[in-house]
Amino acid sequence: MKKIININVNGDNHEVAVRPGTTLLDLLRDELNLTGTKKGCELGDCGACTVILDGKAVNSCLVLALDADGKKVKTIEGLAGSKHLHPVQQAFVEKGAIQCGYCTPGMIMRVVSILDENPDPTKEEIKKALSGNLCRCTGYTKIIEAVEAAKAYINGMEQPEIEYQPQKSALDLSVVGKRLPKIDAPDKATGKALFTDDLAFPKMLYGKLLLSPLPHALIKSINTKRALALPGVKAIMTGDDVPDIKWGTSPPRYDENVLAKNKVRYVGDVVAAVAAVDEETCYKALQLIEVEYEELPAVFDPMEAMKEAAPRLFDDKYENNINTHIDHHFGDIDLGFAEADHIREERFVGNRTYQNPMEPHCSIAEWDNHGRVTLHTSTQVVHYVHHQLSRILNLPLGNIRVIMTYCGGGFGAKAATTTIEVMSCFLAKETGCPVKMRFNREEMYLFGRGRHKQYIDLKIGVKNDGTITAVKHKAILEGGAYSSFGIVSAYYAGSMLTTLYKFANYKYDGYRINTNLPPCGAFRGHGCPHPRFAFESLLSMIADDIGMDPIDIRLKNAMEPEYRTCNDLDIHSCEFTACLEDVKKKSHWDSKRGNLPKGRGIGIGCGGFVSGAGYPIYRSQFPHSNAIIKILEDGSKAMLYIGDADIGQGSDTVLAMAACEAMGITMDRISVVSADSDLTPIGFGAYSSRVTLMGGNACKMAGEEIKKQLLQAASEILNVDANILEAKDNKIYVKDKPEISIPWEDAGFAYFSNNGPLVGKGHYSPPKGLGGKYKGAAVGTSPAYSFSATVCEVEVDMETGKVKVLNFWDAHDCGTAINPMSAEGQAEGAVVMGMSEVLFENEVFDKNGKMLNADLHNYLIATSADMPEISSTLVDSYEPAGPFGAKEIGEGATLPILGALANAIANAIGVRIFELPITPEKVLKAIAEANKVNSDS
Amino acid sequence: MYVSDFTYLRPKNLEEALDLLQNKDDAVALAGGTDLLVELKTGVRLCSHLVSLADVEEFKFIKEDEKSIQIGAGITHSQIMQSSLVKEHIPALALAASKIGSHQVRNNGTLGGNICSAAACCDSAPVLISLNAQIEILDATNKKIIPLEDLFQGNKINTLKKGQLVSKVIIPKTGKGTGVHYEKFGLREAMAVSVVSVSVMLKIKNESIENASVVIGAVAPTPKVSVAAVGILIGTPTHLLVEKSDPILRVSEAAVGDSIPIDDIRGGAQYRRDVLFSLTQRCILKALESAQKNV
Repeated sequence: MKKIININVNGDNHEVAVRPGTTLLDLLRDELNLTGTKKGCELGDCGACTVILDGKAVNSCLVLALDADGKKVKTIEGLAGSKHLHPVQQAFVEKGAIQCGYCTPGMIMRVVSILDENPDPTKEEIKKALSGNLCRCTGYTKIIEAVEAAKAYINGMEQPEIEYQPQKSALDLSVVGKRLPKIDAPDKATGKALFTDDLAFPKMLYGKLLLSPLPHALIKSINTKRALALPGVKAIMTGDDVPDIKWGTSPPRYDENVLAKNKVRYVGDVVAAVAAVDEETCYKALQLIEVEYEELPAVFDPMEAMKEAAPRLFDDKYENNINTHIDHHFGDIDLGFAEADHIREERFVGNRTYQNPMEPHCSIAEWDNHGRVTLHTSTQVVHYVHHQLSRILNLPLGNIRVIMTYCGGGFGAKAATTTIEVMSCFLAKETGCPVKMRFNREEMYLFGRGRHKQYIDLKIGVKNDGTITAVKHKAILEGGAYSSFGIVSAYYAGSMLTTLYKFANYKYDGYRINTNLPPCGAFRGHGCPHPRFAFESLLSMIADDIGMDPIDIRLKNAMEPEYRTCNDLDIHSCEFTACLEDVKKKSHWDSKRGNLPKGRGIGIGCGGFVSGAGYPIYRSQFPHSNAIIKILEDGSKAMLYIGDADIGQGSDTVLAMAACEAMGITMDRISVVSADSDLTPIGFGAYSSRVTLMGGNACKMAGEEIKKQLLQAASEILNVDANILEAKDNKIYVKDKPEISIPWEDAGFAYFSNNGPLVGKGHYSPPKGLGGKYKGAAVGTSPAYSFSATVCEVEVDMETGKVKVLNFWDAHDCGTAINPMSAEGQAEGAVVMGMSEVLFENEVFDKNGKMLNADLHNYLIATSADMPEISSTLVDSYEPAGPFGAKEIGEGATLPILGALANAIANAIGVRIFELPITPEKVLKAIAEANKVNSDS
Repeated sequence: MYVSDFTYLRPKNLEEALDLLQNKDDAVALAGGTDLLVELKTGVRLCSHLVSLADVEEFKFIKEDEKSIQIGAGITHSQIMQSSLVKEHIPALALAASKIGSHQVRNNGTLGGNICSAAACCDSAPVLISLNAQIEILDATNKKIIPLEDLFQGNKINTLKKGQLVSKVIIPKTGKGTGVHYEKFGLREAMAVSVVSVSVMLKIKNESIENASVVIGAVAPTPKVSVAAVGILIGTPTHLLVEKSDPILRVSEAAVGDSIPIDDIRGGAQYRRDVLFSLTQRCILKALESAQKNV
């Protein structure tokens, strides 16, 4: 029964009828169309829905709308004036505090309330006060800077200066290399940016999935009669109603059904889908679907799963549940180990972690009357969704339009096509109405595609001087029920160990094992973080064994430019040594190492990643990134159309900067349309850290094509040869006599008037023939590689085992940073995410395969109160294959964190923990065991 | 997620609220909602009548009389943190309140809701129990006052009967020489559920412990007074209560002996005992410090 309430929102009085169970959040979003307030967890754990209710910041997801009757609410929409942003919004925009923007409205509302309560908070007070608002992108660093800037604005104080030494490779550039605010930041700061769940269409229905409650079972029957009879239910689909086609991510391992066919393989596997007038009716209908299961024995541990008698997930493939096996041998490890003076082998175990982008997945599908379907979705890769839908719906690409809305973070969780992307299309077709489907936080965990837990046996041999002679690596990846990206993860786990240090002899034995758990996939650093954690840990242990400084052993073996690794990866630019030297110096490594009190420790870790995969996921000859630039008829604006996806990392801005630099215009002269399959040419999207290099090259090329045509037009106006002209800062001028010039837009206007549309095209394909000839040689290839090093300092409470991370000093070779502020944001976010994975994160399952912590209350991620001081440096570097010398930073920056933190903890407590996450419980146990050994001896 | 159907009732005052709770089937009182709405959304709890206490102003006070501080059940954790009375007389309660959830949760969550949720890891109860706090329980016809301890029956189970509401918490004022401290151990720096918590109250007279209370949290189905620890503390000369001293170790061992922790995703039972052992020592020293300042 609905009741009428009166509520004042941002100064406007509303009289609304609401249901008893409607929360203030749903009232704002669904009834009042104020979608700036975001829905992140729905349980008060993330703060994305923070609004100010009668003067106090509250989680609007935990307030009943009826309880807010008669009250005053302030939301993000009520903050800015019509002309000016609120000082807090302004500061967030300027300081780079906004990445995906999904936590931003709640975060900004909280900051407003903090500064209302205390106009002059200290940094520590800010960190504590913001700890109810989770952010997964920024590492909170730039958010804190923004609060300090906002404080200065409001109090009329001077802004703190940013110390930044521009990179040499950017000194002569006009746009690239500048610390510019992201172009989407103002819309994200004001709640105007529309994410998929913020959209609604006339007659729109909602869809939900019925998930398996059992880890392994045959489906004997499904009865939907009672559910269909529920008023408001419009359609129910089961495995019988969808095409019999396997899909997934990697073609050799397409093994998922759209909806379960006869069998479910994990708690969360998809059994049926329902469409109804609202989500509540969907949930009620799900409870009325009767499924008869015949339970099968299940297996959750990969070691058990590989045994002969273990239950099989697939009868027709993956013998012994071995989904993928890789056997690589480069050089001769026997010879290599024979040359070694010291050999050490240890077992390391990773953790099962989930990306947890703050925005839950959401998709809306709608069919037109011409047989075309349009899907709005929160994805990282429009093209792969497009490609999968084409296969599954059996339609040409041209009959499908996939539009990425603003995307609230991905980190790999939105790299694979999701069941809701597919099922919203089917349900929309079935019902003839648009259908919106979204995951709640629990469903996100159950859909999975997070990090594989790896069991790693690593053996390294070195000479007395620290030279690495051989590396043997065996990894078992617990993969969950389906393949997703997993085959690639398994290859990456091996191939990327060779890019940081030079060694000639290497053996990798990799196994990806299916278990009755949610499928694992690609998570930032794809397959590499656990092996890298193992390698960096073991290398530091070996350094200790042979009495060498851990940084020195790294310098001894450090990768150098123009080197071909033992597994045939071609390294070009490489400033790894500069990274190591930078962190050594700024961390005061030499004075700290060995001189810190018990409980305090320092450690080094290194990393690096591909700047885009050398080959696409499925065989295709299309260029990987493509750009079109269209100049408005009056020359006033360039429209950049790019298929690659801005998931918060800032690619729209970075790509626009590359295009502007190439065209000779400033950033106020460009607008970006990205990731819409009707409008933008194909791009492989945001994964494998590919966008800056590949998309950047495509945009640069398109920009250069524009410039060439414009210079020609200008040469006709100025009556000079086009060869002596240059375009820069919105002017076209004679290189030697800059006083002879015309405005850029005049040339654009003239071009259009004489020739019609001014369009530039650009495309990028990695060099042909990258990598070796052996099976799996493609994974790990890239046009360029990033490098990074970090030193971490921790303090450990020796009585409780709790680790406090004090500092990360990191340095990155990302080539030329197109936008240094964004690059730092990537590094800072990677630090805090990596730290969070090491200290807190782990998916836990009960003995029946049901996840016990599928929320943000029990699956902990770092808060602002946990963040360390971070000092990031971008070293001077230039990558010839990259646009203006640029390479990646987003994923590579994660890789050094795990090892550095593990090494710092080991240094602090005097004993090594080999298994992630490094919880206080494990730390205390390790300390106790070490004490016992010491007292026994 | 959604909240399943219920009838929403919003009494204007205490009397109406008690009447509704007594007479409506399956009626549940809604205070700040920070626990209850989570339970309703996740389906852990169902109710057919939700009695919102939003307008029950009788619950929203913090006052003092000669002998006690009285806090209405509808007072939020934020209000506790800001209250000058609390800060003056029971600073440890303000400290405990500051450790609950996030700022947003503390702005809505109430003291009454926190104790009535009766979670083993409840952050406000240990301090209150260590101060011998009592609660007033009302129903449509009766009023009674019981020790707060007696509200807790098991993890997330309270002893309230149908129609009953906790209306206020009564905290006896402590005399000179008394100090209270609260230590909480969670897995991250903020928004963490207590893995272990301890509250220690010490009263010093003539350089020794005249009275004491040690309440341990999250290591048993309910917050629990460690009788053994109190037994050792009382009569101990204060100069012996120093880091790693024999009496302090014995008290901490006694607290561990009184705990009955479980294994869960936040920590194993043995780990909880280990942390309790360390936390108790720290808490005693901090409580002693504040007792010594309070002369």
